[in-house]
Amino acid sequence: MAETLLWVLPLVPTVTALLMLTTRDRRILSGLDVAGSAVLLALTLVLARDLVAGGPQALGVFRVDDLGLVFLILVAVLTFAVSIYQVGWLRQAVALGNMKPESLRPYFALVHGFVATMVVTVLADNLGVLWIAMEGTTITSAVLVGYHGHHHGLEAAWKYIIVTTIGISFGLFGTVLVYAAAAAGHGSAGAGSRSWSAIMKVAPALDPGIVRIGFIFVVVGYGAKAGLAPMHLWLPDAHSQAPTPVSALLSGALIKCALLGIIRFQTIAAAAVGPAFPMQVLLVFGLISIVVATPFILTQHDLKRLLGYHSVEHVGIVALGLGFGGSVGTYGALLHVVNHGVTKALAFFAAGTAIARYGSRDMQVIRGLLAVAPIGATLLMLAALSLAGVPPFSIFVSELMVLRAGIGDGHWVAVAVFLAMVVIIFAGLLHHVGGMAFGKPTAAATREAEARSPLLGMTLLAAIIILLGLTIPGSFDRIFRGATEIIVG
Amino acid sequence: MSAETVQTVIDNLGALLLFTMILIVAAGQIYRAIYAVAAQSFLIAVAGGVLATATGNVDLWVIAGITLTVKAIVLPWVLHWVVRRMNVRREIEPVIPDAATLALAVVVVVLSFHLSASLGPVRQAITGNALPVGISLTLSGVLVMATRKTALTQMVGLFASENGIFFTAMAVTQGMPLIIEIGVILDVILAALVMAIMVLRVRSTVDADIADLEELRG
Repeated sequence: MAETLLWVLPLVPTVTALLMLTTRDRRILSGLDVAGSAVLLALTLVLARDLVAGGPQALGVFRVDDLGLVFLILVAVLTFAVSIYQVGWLRQAVALGNMKPESLRPYFALVHGFVATMVVTVLADNLGVLWIAMEGTTITSAVLVGYHGHHHGLEAAWKYIIVTTIGISFGLFGTVLVYAAAAAGHGSAGAGSRSWSAIMKVAPALDPGIVRIGFIFVVVGYGAKAGLAPMHLWLPDAHSQAPTPVSALLSGALIKCALLGIIRFQTIAAAAVGPAFPMQVLLVFGLISIVVATPFILTQHDLKRLLGYHSVEHVGIVALGLGFGGSVGTYGALLHVVNHGVTKALAFFAAGTAIARYGSRDMQVIRGLLAVAPIGATLLMLAALSLAGVPPFSIFVSELMVLRAGIGDGHWVAVAVFLAMVVIIFAGLLHHVGGMAFGKPTAAATREAEARSPLLGMTLLAAIIILLGLTIPGSFDRIFRGATEIIVG
Repeated sequence: MSAETVQTVIDNLGALLLFTMILIVAAGQIYRAIYAVAAQSFLIAVAGGVLATATGNVDLWVIAGITLTVKAIVLPWVLHWVVRRMNVRREIEPVIPDAATLALAVVVVVLSFHLSASLGPVRQAITGNALPVGISLTLSGVLVMATRKTALTQMVGLFASENGIFFTAMAVTQGMPLIIEIGVILDVILAALVMAIMVLRVRSTVDADIADLEELRG
């Protein structure tokens, strides 16, 4: 049963996408959208239950373990939230003329195609399949980034497709090198060892030199996709130009899938050359990302670009957690993947409704949101506070764990830089968001009532943020522990 | 064929590949770059054929055939078609002088050979100098993309970069599984089509080169 689910899961969004091609009616499309995402989420939870009971499941090129499950649940939850959110968002976008009614059908189909490729990325055991699916996410989402058809959108889409395609071709090179190492170490016996689980079995015997080069290629390659600086150049553009639900998926789910790719290779590299080397590489990239993002966050005027640079910062924090390593750092990094994914999706949702209300992405124009849209403004504040790392929201917990791991291992310089940047970003973000929420509404603001479905989608995510900030449920904790064990060994 | 003959042939092909890469880096006109990358893909297909004969691996024949059709014929044709549609025979506009790019390319090649010379045991798993040549092609492809401001040249750089990966993958003893290579090629075709559509769309709406747009900053 559970094994078959591995094949069914990617098929759900695929079939949903195909069904969507049969109709033009917005209501039916939205219905299909929500139904498809709900089925995906339900099946993911079934798989999670089976996994907790019966251990890792594998079928053909697909395999799921605790590590993959963390990312799978994140993708499924965010897809569901996006589906709910975009019922109302699209109605508004069509009314405002930002979306043409006739372009809704390909839009919906592409979103689900995009989700399908992400699900394959997460479930892939074969490293080649992982790569193919990763490139698939680029192709589907690049079209979505340029969906408004404005030349700004196309510029962003071009930069996105070029930078990430070239990036992940480095990832492919890294994959080939790891294959070569496996083939060299095992001769013909290694013929079947193209999957992560098979390579892991022979990993300690792999040639350290080639694995080291392969790992660097992979970190640079998949790191471009994950938004690690200095390969992040596409990220703020793509995140700011894409339609809001797509921004949420890009930032919340996609860049996390790329991180999973890096983590898979990290485990191979750790076994082949010792854990210190991959940790050092990730530590450096993590620190660079956090430092590079900070000035752009402070001086930003565009709300969605601001959130884009925040993604660079938070991906950096995840890399830092993995770089500090140990069970605390790794657990913290994985928790941060989920926390940031959910929080950032919420932030984009709230930002998207505010932008639609004011007709501008400029934070100077968005003023007095609390007076015209109290619930939306509260949710935006909540997301911002969580992003800034304020307790009792979830990101505080995972950042604290990353910090704790850094102090425990005596990485004093890294810890100092991390703390300084987090404090600066905290001040900058509160300044930005405070200005948007309070004060007198500018004339640009419409005072129409807040749409229900976006609020519902946002409340769902807000509830998760608060819950994970207060406590980590036992079953979740077990999955995270299992995943940490896979990485730390 | 004996192992040494294969190695010599692959090394010679590698030298030719590096030569085509220099042609791409130094190309003053977009047409020349397209022809050079087509020739490069053709050489990769030949290398696939040679390795297939030597190892008796049928999969490699299939891969060589696909490389020939897709990368040496179809994709260059698509690029050619886009150039004609755009109806501008724009010169390639380098960000830094050609001579500097060439010098950088030389540095890349030297470093690649130096890097793979440090890898002892693994080189046995890869025929001849396929690894340093592959790394050189990949990195020089990136170099072309970074130093050119026209969309089509950036696409040429991307294809050259991927050629490097394919060359190395073919020469790895166990190679890439056939199904994976097919998937990779499929992705390349799709990406190329999406890029071509974007280029034409921007050309028709704002009459500019998509790679030249620089309005998103900060």
